[in-house]
Amino acid sequence: MIRTATPQIELRNLHRVFDQTHAVNNVSFEVYAGEVVGYIGPNGAGKTTSMRILATLDEPTAGDAYVDGFSVVEDPDRVRRRLGFMPDYFGTYQNVNVYEYLDFFARSYGLKGRERISAIGEVMEFTQLRALAEKPINGLSKGMKQRLCLGRTMIHNPSVLVLDEPAAGLDPRARIELREMISKLADAGKAILVSSHILTELAEMCDRVAIIEQGRLLAVGSVAEISAGVQVQSTVHVRVLEGAERLQNWLAARDGVSELRTDGTLAVFDYAGDRAAEASLLRAMVESGLPVIEFGAKHKSLEDVFLHVTEGRVQ
Amino acid sequence: MNGDAASTTEVLSVADDASFDADVVLEPIGPAAKSRAAVVWERIEPILVYAGDWLNPILVKETRQALKSFQFTTTFALVLAACWIVTIGGLALIGPSIFYSASGGTLLAWYYAILAFPLIVVVPYSAFRSLTAEREDNTYDLLSITSLRPRQIISGKLGSSIVQMAVYFSAVTPCLAFTYLLRGVDLPTIAVLTVYTFFGSLGLSMAGILLATLSEQRFAQVFVSVALVAGLLWICFWSVFGGYQVIQFSYAFMGGEEFWTTTLALTTAYVTTFTLMFFAAAGTITFSTENRSTPLRLCMLVQQAAWIGWMAFAWIYNGYELGFIFALAAFAAVYWYVMGALLTSERVGMSQRVKRRLPQSFFGRAFLSWLNPGPASGYMFTIANGTSIVLISLLGIAMSQLLASGTPGSLSADELFCLLIVGWGYVVAYLGVGMMAIRLLRRFAVVNTFAAVLIHFLVILAGSGIPTTIQMMSVDLRYEDYSLLQIPNPFWSLTHLVDGGVASEGAILVLVIPAAALCILLLNLRSVVRELQAVRIAPPKRVLQDEAELHPPPAALPQNPWDEPE
Repeated sequence: MIRTATPQIELRNLHRVFDQTHAVNNVSFEVYAGEVVGYIGPNGAGKTTSMRILATLDEPTAGDAYVDGFSVVEDPDRVRRRLGFMPDYFGTYQNVNVYEYLDFFARSYGLKGRERISAIGEVMEFTQLRALAEKPINGLSKGMKQRLCLGRTMIHNPSVLVLDEPAAGLDPRARIELREMISKLADAGKAILVSSHILTELAEMCDRVAIIEQGRLLAVGSVAEISAGVQVQSTVHVRVLEGAERLQNWLAARDGVSELRTDGTLAVFDYAGDRAAEASLLRAMVESGLPVIEFGAKHKSLEDVFLHVTEGRVQ
Repeated sequence: MNGDAASTTEVLSVADDASFDADVVLEPIGPAAKSRAAVVWERIEPILVYAGDWLNPILVKETRQALKSFQFTTTFALVLAACWIVTIGGLALIGPSIFYSASGGTLLAWYYAILAFPLIVVVPYSAFRSLTAEREDNTYDLLSITSLRPRQIISGKLGSSIVQMAVYFSAVTPCLAFTYLLRGVDLPTIAVLTVYTFFGSLGLSMAGILLATLSEQRFAQVFVSVALVAGLLWICFWSVFGGYQVIQFSYAFMGGEEFWTTTLALTTAYVTTFTLMFFAAAGTITFSTENRSTPLRLCMLVQQAAWIGWMAFAWIYNGYELGFIFALAAFAAVYWYVMGALLTSERVGMSQRVKRRLPQSFFGRAFLSWLNPGPASGYMFTIANGTSIVLISLLGIAMSQLLASGTPGSLSADELFCLLIVGWGYVVAYLGVGMMAIRLLRRFAVVNTFAAVLIHFLVILAGSGIPTTIQMMSVDLRYEDYSLLQIPNPFWSLTHLVDGGVASEGAILVLVIPAAALCILLLNLRSVVRELQAVRIAPPKRVLQDEAELHPPPAALPQNPWDEPE
């Protein structure tokens, strides 16, 4: 990913208050071109509200958000030309087939003539909906609807995509296909902000994540950066040829080692340190004469980071 | 995909039993073998596609939907069936006398009743439902983030209504033509009836769309939906009744000068009200930082000008009778109070976006600032219009005194003068008090436009109700007529002046009410000044960049034969 100077999405001290609820509380972060940023948080954390503000469907109480340098409050029409928003619901029209649905939105985004026909063709190709062109949208499966929704989102070739729970309710195959589509879009240089409850998927497709809870942004960065920042421990296992007791004593005396368990010649423990620290630890073991025959470290997943960062509070 | 065109490669077919030698007959299949109709269609299709590109996307989508919808098909089939039943039943009843009796009028009344129901009830209700269903089906959000402007959304919905009307007309038109052949009804009557019904349906559809934009909440939609259906059925009943009257008595009024004058006056009222409703509907669904107020204020100005024009015409036509000046002022007072209540309920503060387009010149700031959005400028805009009405009316009174030759009307010049001044004072005072109340409440709570308008009506209700209640509760005042306790009560005070109270309390009211109005105006002046202090700001650099990309300056052309083109 090449990081450009100007962020494609920028939330700047964003606030949104509904009566007594501070749904979004001073949230700031950026998304650059070609980057996929996962927006994660428990239900009611403020993800959808922030995304709706970005999509110019809601207004912030204070602060502002920018898409390609345009304020969502002051220049919503310019933002709309550059942004594709996929909400967490699918709006259906009665008596409309797949082609007509895409054709309507292409027309609504001002595409005319060959440009419109070509855009619909490309979108149907990308989302693999060509075979279903004449099918009424009410008869589509959930996965097909999600594809169509993604197709609608990108019909005007926006530079920014905001996807709210795009994988919700999809079967594993449809999820994998959707993930591939999102990766392709990012490769095409689009800035993508995506929210999901399926953290394993986000971890695979996102360059960075933003964690929000109770309207407050708790952390932004890659999973590794956040893990380092919040000192999330990795789980390390060491097996020695002999001298299990010596290994246990040696590890117990080291800083950063906790939750030490042993099983014969195998020791498993939590270690607070990055990969370089793990390498140093291994070197120190060997230098101290421990006959290490197996050394491995399992780093914390996005789920572990999420659980560590958030407290599961709702407002 | 629809866009896939059939291959136009020429294909050669070989004669059945021929071996491939020099005698083989090669018959071209493809373009050369195409039927004439196919060739013509191939030429027309790109033109239709090109024309379709310029149609409103909502119109295209909703026409496609309508042609497949059960509701549309059923209604159309019912209209067609009803026409057939009336035709067959009518002919059976008329019998052989069809050759000499003039029975077109009776059948036309029946056909009109059949046409009125879909046009007056179904089409406007469909327009209302079309927008409310967008909210229910979660498609409104998707629609509102496209490049479609709110005015395009509204005009698309209206266009869809027109298409529906056209289809219903197409079902009934042969029957209408048939009634002309039966004699007893002339073409102008049929034309007037259909044109009035068409525009009536269009106006009601506009009202339906406006109501749909106003009713965002589910309970409001249900309430408005029921009220709208009831209202439309009521209008349908009266339009059928009116249509029957027109058919029966058209000979008496059609074609005369008064008929055309009335038609022209109604057209003016229709066009200005329709435009106002259109901009109001578009404004309701426009993003809040956009300037939603100025188009509405311009519509109000045009409507006021039209009203003044027609009342001046009636005044001159009827020998400078003062009654028309009274009608002008009375309607204007109610109109500007209602519009003023809406304008002074606007959101305080101007967005950066609006500030980018504020007038800059001295004259622009002096005369166009009242068109800027904001409650205080709305207040001053209302007062300016109310004052202009008063001045025009005073001029009218003076001219009536000079020119009137006939018998005086029911109102004297003095009474009218008092009414004008006192009426003006009430409008200025009550709007000012309402605006202050809204400003005060907005410090503690969120007051939206609907609540703000409600506050205005509560203020005037309190100003009228409290003195009336006190007088009714008082043992001494209970059986007296108008007392000075009723000064805050505009309804009783103005009625008292009309009923000849000018001689007794006229002077007091003329002094007290305008004085109170001026005091309230002064109290509101600070907020007016604050709004007037807003100055134009430059658009952000990114916006200027985008504008330059969207609208690049035209390439410089050579100014003389020696210039090199750039």
